[in-house]
Amino acid sequence: MMGWRLQRLPSAKPRLAFLARAVSVILALLVAGLVTAAAGFHPFDLGAEVVSSSFGSRFGIEDLGLLLTPLIYTGLAVAVGLRIGAWNIGAEGQFNIGAFCAAGVALFVPGPVWMVLPLMVFGGALGGAAWILVPTLARAYADVSELITTLLLNFVALLLVYYVATGPWLDPSGHALATTARLPVAIPEFWGIVHWGFPVAVAMAMALAILFALTRWGYEIRISGSNPGAARYAGIPVRRHLITVMLMSGAIAGLGGVMEVAGTVGRLQGGISNNYGYLGIMVAVLARAAPLGVLASALLMAVILNGGIILQTQGLTTNTVLAVTGLILLFSAIGDELAHYRVIRTTAQRA
Amino acid sequence: MDGGGAMLDEVDVRHRLGLDPGTPPLVALRGVGKVFPGVIANADVHLEVFPGEIHALLGENGAGKSTLMNVLTGIYQPDSGEIVVAGYPRTFSSPQDAIRAGIGMVHQHFKLVQAFTVAENVHLGWDRTPARVGAAMLEARTAELAARLNLAVRPEATVADLSTGEQQRVEILRVLSRDAKVLILDEPTAVLTPGEAQDLFAALRAFVAQGNAVIFISHKLDEVLEIAHRVTVLRAGRNVATRWASDCTERSLAQMMVGREIVLTDMRTRAPGIAGPGAPVLRLEAVALKGVLQDISLEVRAGEVLGVAGVAGNGQRELCQIMTGLAAPTSGRVLLDGADISRAGPGAVATMGVGHIPEDRLASGVAAGLSITENAVLREYRDRPVSRGPWYSPRAALDLARRIAGAAEVVVPDFAMPVRNLSGGNQQRLVARREMRIARRAIVAAYPSRGLDVGAINMMMRYLTELRDQGVAVVLVSEELEELLNLSDRIAVMFHGRIMGIVPAAAADLDDIGLMMGGQRRDRAA
Amino acid sequence: MTLIRPLSRRGFLNMGAAAGLGLMLPRTGLIQPARAAGPLPAVAEEEAVIAWGYVGPTADEGWTWAHDQGRQAVQNAYPKLKTIYVESVPYSADASRIYRQFVSEGAHMVFANSNYGDFLYDVAARAPEVAFFECDGRSPMDNLGTYYVQHWYPSYVTGVAAGLLSKTGKLGYVASFPVPSVYSGTNAFLMGARSVNPSATVQTIVINSWFDPQAAAQAGTALIDNGCDLLFGIMDEAAYLQVAEQRGAKAVMWNTDIRRYGPNAYVSSIVVDFGAYYVEQVRRRLAGEWTPSQDILPMGQGVDRDAWGQSVPAEVAAQADAARDKILSGWSPFTGEIKDSKGNIRIAAGQTMTETELYNWDWSIEGVSGLDS
Repeated sequence: MMGWRLQRLPSAKPRLAFLARAVSVILALLVAGLVTAAAGFHPFDLGAEVVSSSFGSRFGIEDLGLLLTPLIYTGLAVAVGLRIGAWNIGAEGQFNIGAFCAAGVALFVPGPVWMVLPLMVFGGALGGAAWILVPTLARAYADVSELITTLLLNFVALLLVYYVATGPWLDPSGHALATTARLPVAIPEFWGIVHWGFPVAVAMAMALAILFALTRWGYEIRISGSNPGAARYAGIPVRRHLITVMLMSGAIAGLGGVMEVAGTVGRLQGGISNNYGYLGIMVAVLARAAPLGVLASALLMAVILNGGIILQTQGLTTNTVLAVTGLILLFSAIGDELAHYRVIRTTAQRA
Repeated sequence: MDGGGAMLDEVDVRHRLGLDPGTPPLVALRGVGKVFPGVIANADVHLEVFPGEIHALLGENGAGKSTLMNVLTGIYQPDSGEIVVAGYPRTFSSPQDAIRAGIGMVHQHFKLVQAFTVAENVHLGWDRTPARVGAAMLEARTAELAARLNLAVRPEATVADLSTGEQQRVEILRVLSRDAKVLILDEPTAVLTPGEAQDLFAALRAFVAQGNAVIFISHKLDEVLEIAHRVTVLRAGRNVATRWASDCTERSLAQMMVGREIVLTDMRTRAPGIAGPGAPVLRLEAVALKGVLQDISLEVRAGEVLGVAGVAGNGQRELCQIMTGLAAPTSGRVLLDGADISRAGPGAVATMGVGHIPEDRLASGVAAGLSITENAVLREYRDRPVSRGPWYSPRAALDLARRIAGAAEVVVPDFAMPVRNLSGGNQQRLVARREMRIARRAIVAAYPSRGLDVGAINMMMRYLTELRDQGVAVVLVSEELEELLNLSDRIAVMFHGRIMGIVPAAAADLDDIGLMMGGQRRDRAA
Repeated sequence: MTLIRPLSRRGFLNMGAAAGLGLMLPRTGLIQPARAAGPLPAVAEEEAVIAWGYVGPTADEGWTWAHDQGRQAVQNAYPKLKTIYVESVPYSADASRIYRQFVSEGAHMVFANSNYGDFLYDVAARAPEVAFFECDGRSPMDNLGTYYVQHWYPSYVTGVAAGLLSKTGKLGYVASFPVPSVYSGTNAFLMGARSVNPSATVQTIVINSWFDPQAAAQAGTALIDNGCDLLFGIMDEAAYLQVAEQRGAKAVMWNTDIRRYGPNAYVSSIVVDFGAYYVEQVRRRLAGEWTPSQDILPMGQGVDRDAWGQSVPAEVAAQADAARDKILSGWSPFTGEIKDSKGNIRIAAGQTMTETELYNWDWSIEGVSGLDS
């Protein structure tokens, strides 16, 4: 007798996994379309509006570039951590601290731009790394899960930025905008409103891709992340690598904060991270922690977020957009799991 | 030895246990067989346990004891044979079924919730736990149960705070509270101090005195003789014999466990032109590792195979770690060609020419989620051509992986596929070939044939003799005496972190080895 | 005319013709003359797109609701043009994105009903062909005007009523942020109260939000617990009015007529109406006459006190309205000597504060506590 059954493979075929990803995104958009249609909107018109507004004008493309930039930084930060098996849930906090440090340097260190700007970049990266230092050491030496420690520090960073922006560093002429004064030094513009933070982010993604794929160090990180036991067996200094990579992750997130405060916003204000840290987790997971994949998934996320802005002018609320991002992640997770299965034909076993 | 012939006369059994002639066994296994893909775990096993009896189940690792008990407690379903409880055939589809029929097991690794109190653990997943509970009520119920079953526990204590012995009592209480008539204990004394073990024995004797029974799984011959009424010995999944404990000695039990019918294939004899053992390569001088290893001195010569025998968990893992730099001894020295490598670290030791086929491949031998290529180059990625300066060449890595797979005779459809997609045997062959490439001076092979089929085992043995013939010092850790006898020049036997003795394999007496594995020292070191 | 109904409902007196707004009476608060840039070109009504970015939800029955009434007035006046809006625009880089999206969608005018600062200026600088407005703004650009209301006059008028109604003389104020609107509101209110009760004081609690009913209710409760029997504030909702109703206190509100949430407690409200102003600005843009201006709508023409509440005695209403009439006839209550909360004389005797000074007021007068650090 012939029969059919599902067999779960230990790992998904890359082509199948990619297909599952694509299908899940389409399905999520389809569900979102049905819901908006049920609410009385025309999903195809809305979709066309999103596409034409995002890609059809220079303004739209600039907006995408600007949204993309912080997502690449936080996405890379989380992806780098994942490479060695560390979940940096704290990119949000490191992003805030990076912005805080850069704003502090810009506001209080006098000097020419050529001196202050590198100092801001360096200070922000250092701040981000410092913010993940304690979770890193706790993980490396006491095996304390970085998931919780990095997450908790987010709130501290967020409140610290709120405090300085509404308290000691407040610019009273901002009125309802509780922000610091405009930073006297900015990241130079690259293309329209898109600042140099964007090409730097892209270059960094490429550099990281090369670092992980084509260096001995990258190989050691891969082994350490996949199986620390095997890494120790091969004589790889797992703990040292863990510390290096986690600090790197924090520094990249901090750099994202520098670019946001000195490139996009121009002032330090509470909530400057705008959830980019958490979205970065989504970006990294969608990219399967591959640096070049981060570019693609950050673009997808930026289109969705920008779509959210566009849809708001069409009368939809931000919650709709959050629901769509959630749907995409949910369907992707399901798709990833399904990609592990294949249908096989069986012959009944002889008893 | 014929299994059936070893069965005792049932009438005699009832008589000696003081039971009425018609008393049915509390539980009986009749002709139970269980097959896993490629492995016969149990075949035609018979076991009868009567009221008032402590019945020991003895056998080497892999003899089929655990599978048999898993069949009895409903974790596995037998492929053949039947389970008879109090005279009626039963099938158990889950441990819950088994416990309802009065059969409960205390596993070697406790299944307690560490963060819960004793009372909560006892009531967890119990159909007689009231729907509405309070801490005080659960503790009162637990205290009452403990008093009735004569097991001293503290109901309000959190399990994580308890000693191992206390945790074991909680496990036993958990099982007995479900009205178990048959209590199965898997190596219960392995985790106990001698005092705690005596307390346990007293509790077990009291338990069976009420008409219950205990199945007691152990390696320790002296304990078995002390506590058990009868002993059933399993070997290779089959009954060897069931005997009255009073009729046995440690020696006779060891003999039954290890068996006489080992097929000896002499792989020790070198081909013409191959030199015998040469100068010492790897030397351990009074090595100790806190709490695990004590006073270990041995040396392995070039072109020699040193076998390490012993029941798993007696320090073999740590010994391998010390020899390969994964752990540093707390005292003593490890020398490779005269150089102290005690604290050199695993990378340096590997670079100096010591290969290591690790005991638990998936925990340390490979990164299962990474590609075959990445795993194949784990030992040589630092060297040209895989690395040039700081650069890693995926192409050179692939070349090397192809060479290793070729030597291992493993057909790999796609080197980018995760290594976990390969069968265990193929993984092991790749690991072995990978280690052979760097093992210029010595190789430490821990249980290299574990989990492999016959073909793969032969391949593994061939690899090791190949290395030996090239003048490499080989350390072979195994629980398969057959394998050790066939391959080793000398055999060291470990027990409780010590070397009980080192004997030349050619003149080895199986009984002696069995006794040493059970903890009897032999000072006639070779 | 469609404008009249909502205006009269909210008790506007003497509103005058809507067209009169365009004339800008002497005290229209034109802080600076319009910048010397040429007017933007004319736009056909059917092609025109006018956009609003709102700080809150249109259903807030407060500030944003009032602005959305203005948008609807524009739509009614020019049915062929297209109006679009986004609610709850955050004070973050997302605001820039939303304003840029308005530009992308072809907006000819963009109104922001709160001050979005750089987030708006950065967009305006890159869209010189679009007319921008920043409510409560202070940084005009070649294509960006500012507009606000002289709420300090109705605040003074309701302050007179408050001074007469309060038995304890302790007035409470639920403040959003320590910003000029709050300083001028509290100061004007207290000056009105002190004109009838020289020992009156104002206690403020800052809740760091324009719209947070829970925090506003807590602040209102705390103020009443502290002995205040009349509350004022600058909230976009009715929470502290409900608290006052429950506790038997009185309350002066902002934005719109929301007396139904506390009919006994309701004294009056600083009601705003931007309909006429919006219609006029759109008219200029369509006609090719628009240049940026900085407008502060005077009392009676975009901002006023609401019709008095049912529990306000006629003689109290009359006395407060007398002050209102005086102001409308040209008198300014903001005349020295005025001391700040630390006792320093800030406005010398006989000196009258300019509209610019009132608009940018950033210090508390003597008797106002809780704002100056």
